[in-house]
This record gives sequence, structure tokens and C-alpha cells, in this order.
Amino acid sequence: MTHAATTSTTSTTTGAGGVALTRRPATLTVLRWELTKVAAQARARYLLLGCLIVPPLIVAVFTGQQPPSDTIYGRHIHASGFADALLILAFAHQWLFPLLAALVAGDIFAGEDGHGTWKTILTRSAGRGQLYAAKALTAVLFNLVALLALAASTIVSGVLIVGRQPLPGLSGQLIPAGTALPLVAAAWATAIAPMLGFTALALLLSVLTRNPTAGVTAPVVLGFAMQLLSTLGGLDLARRLLLTTGFEAWHGLFTAQRFTGPIVQAAAVAAGWTAVCLLIGYLALRRRDITGG
Amino acid sequence: MTRIRSHVTAPAAAVLAVAAVFAATAGRGGEDITSARLERAIGPTFANLYVQRSAILGRTVTAAAIDAHAACDRGGPKVPDSGPGANWICMIAFTDDTGQHQEGKFEVTANADATYVAGGPSKLVGPATITDTHGNDVPNPAFEFDGAFDPDS
Repeated sequence: MTHAATTSTTSTTTGAGGVALTRRPATLTVLRWELTKVAAQARARYLLLGCLIVPPLIVAVFTGQQPPSDTIYGRHIHASGFADALLILAFAHQWLFPLLAALVAGDIFAGEDGHGTWKTILTRSAGRGQLYAAKALTAVLFNLVALLALAASTIVSGVLIVGRQPLPGLSGQLIPAGTALPLVAAAWATAIAPMLGFTALALLLSVLTRNPTAGVTAPVVLGFAMQLLSTLGGLDLARRLLLTTGFEAWHGLFTAQRFTGPIVQAAAVAAGWTAVCLLIGYLALRRRDITGG
Repeated sequence: MTRIRSHVTAPAAAVLAVAAVFAATAGRGGEDITSARLERAIGPTFANLYVQRSAILGRTVTAAAIDAHAACDRGGPKVPDSGPGANWICMIAFTDDTGQHQEGKFEVTANADATYVAGGPSKLVGPATITDTHGNDVPNPAFEFDGAFDPDS
């Protein structure tokens, strides 16, 4: 047994000593592999497809319904198509965004555990740092594309199905269509920062749990928990440190006196969560002892 | 053994760190939802919506002429006038579209995210649905409305 191990080590050393084998692939090449792998996943394709076709269906169903006035902008869905886009944004932040962020990111590391392929990809002579960067970047790019698809589909559905009527603002004012369109697009754009925070959280949990199911569901559960906490009174500063708070920052764009303080705070909070999660994830992956299949 | 321990302690330490930051910041930094912020938001918002309501009914007024002012209280004298809840009451004083001074009790739900929902008395603002000058039934914008305010203002 000892002899066999020694022999194997020796032969590896000899192999790695060869000139061709020590040349590492560029991180861009690793990124291309990872993007190809995600693009081949059925779940990723269905997710993007869902982001495109679900919003028009929801808006179409809304047109025949009593307005859901318990959610912000719900009471205005028949008044302006922009209100539909904002209602769906308000609804999405309650649970859809964490799920959207985690579906690919939560699986991207743990999937290698699930399939037992860590050894295979690591023996393709890409370093762990390169692999980590490529996988994180793949998840970020995919989530940004998914968010963009959802936002574009929602806004276009609202405008085409309900129309470009002036949007009721949050100070009782009416916002003309020409101003409302960029504001609604900006409101959707404010979801980018917390979305990246959830992506990093899902990446971290994917590395730590080594289980694709846990990697996907844990961020969603944490998102729920943060959402629940944020409805309580008396949290004040702690509430602003929750990732989910950033999803509501768009309210300030629709008041007569616009305020963007919450958007700036949310971006800083999301940057903090992202940096910490990515760092811990990297350290955990680098230190991990990968010996099994 | 070391592997097992680091596999458990690292996430546990992370969870504890998050909990510690959360506990250290909870309740600090001042209350987001206050009566002053609600009052500053609700008065002008109601005036704007009352103008829209009057326009639907074919009467022309301006928000400045309505001159609405709100005084908000949460849950009676024993409860501090801050924090989210469905037990806010705002008394709104304004001049109606016939020039009469009016004052009405609005039931307000203030949410932790610095938005609110306010509902007015039908006696002052009319029913949920009103009939416009063309004879169509349309929603009354002043009957129940959403609004938002700056938690840092």
C-alpha cells in the first residue's frame, strides 16, 4: 500500500515536471468552461425562459382581477402598466429574488460534490483560485442576465398589456409616462446590489454545504428569515444591514421629493455581504482537502 | 478530527458573528418610523389626491388651497408615537373643494419599510368608487392610498 502510494506520487511529480503540463489555462478559459456547463443545464435554461414568459402571463391575469391592494402599487394595476411592473418588483423581492440568485449559484460548487467531479476539474491543471473566480463570475453573470430578462419582460408586458398611462407616485402626484419609464427601469436596477449579495451568499453556502439542495434552499430560507425580521419594529440600524432591505430601496424614486439614501446604503450593505461571503468561500475551498472522487 | 472540527466551527463562527453584529445594531441608530415623518408625508399626499378626486368630479382646486396638515398618533396616549403598526391614527385638517374647513380621522398602517397605507372617512372623501364627469365609475384616489417617506429625513 505504502509502496503503491509512493509510486503514484513519483509518477505525478514526473508528469507535472513536463513543460506542457505546467502551463495553466487562463482564467478566461476556465470561465468559458463554466459558462458552457451552466448553459447546458436544463434548470438554467428553464429559469431564463421562465423569466421571459411568466411576467406577461401574470400581467394578463391581473387585468381581469380585483387589484391586490395589500401590496404596494397593487391598487393601481389597472391605472397604469408601470404600476404592474412595480407590483411584480415588490412581489418578487419577497421570495423570488433570493431563489433566482440561488438556483445556479447554490449549485455551482456543490454540484461538483454531487457529481463527484472535483478531482476531474482540478486535474485539468486549473488552480483553485482560478476555478473559484470562474465559478463565482459565471453565477454573477447568469444572475444578472436572469434579472435583466425578468425586468425587461415585466416592464414590456406592463406597457403593452395595460399601457403607458401616468403612474401614481407615492406622494399622491402623477408621474408622466416619459419620466415613469426610466424610473421603473431604475427601480428594477436597484435590485442588482442585493441580488449580488444573495448570489455571494449562495456561492458561500454552496462551498460550505457541499450539497446542491442545501446550496439552493438555504439562501431562500435565509431570505425568508430576513424578510420576516425586517417586518418587525424596533430593529432600526440592524434592519438596514439585512440584505433584503435593499430590495425596497426603490420606494424613494417615486415620491415627490426623491430620496436615494436607502439605495446607497443598500449598495454598501450588499458590497459588505458580497465581500465577506466570497472571502470565506474562497478560504474554505482553498483549504479544503479534496481526496475523494 | 481537525477536518471535522473546522468543518463545523467555521460556519458556526460565521453564524455567531452575524448574530453578534445583528444584536449589537438592533434598536440603535434611531427609529425609522416616527410621527413627524408620517405627518410630513401624509398631509401633502392627501392634498394631491384630493385635487385628483375633485378633478374627476369636475371641480378645480389646487393642493395649496387644500392646505392639508396631519397630526399622527400611534395606539393612544400610552403607546410611543413611533414604529411600524396598523394602529396609527392621523387627524388631517384641510380646506375642501367648496372652501369649508374639514377635519377627518384617517386610519394608517405604517410599515417597517417606511411606506404606509391610509384610509379616509367616506363622509369627507367620498366612497371607494366615484362617478366622473362622463358618467364612468372610477376608483376614488383619496379613499385609500399608499405612500412612502424618507427614513433618513
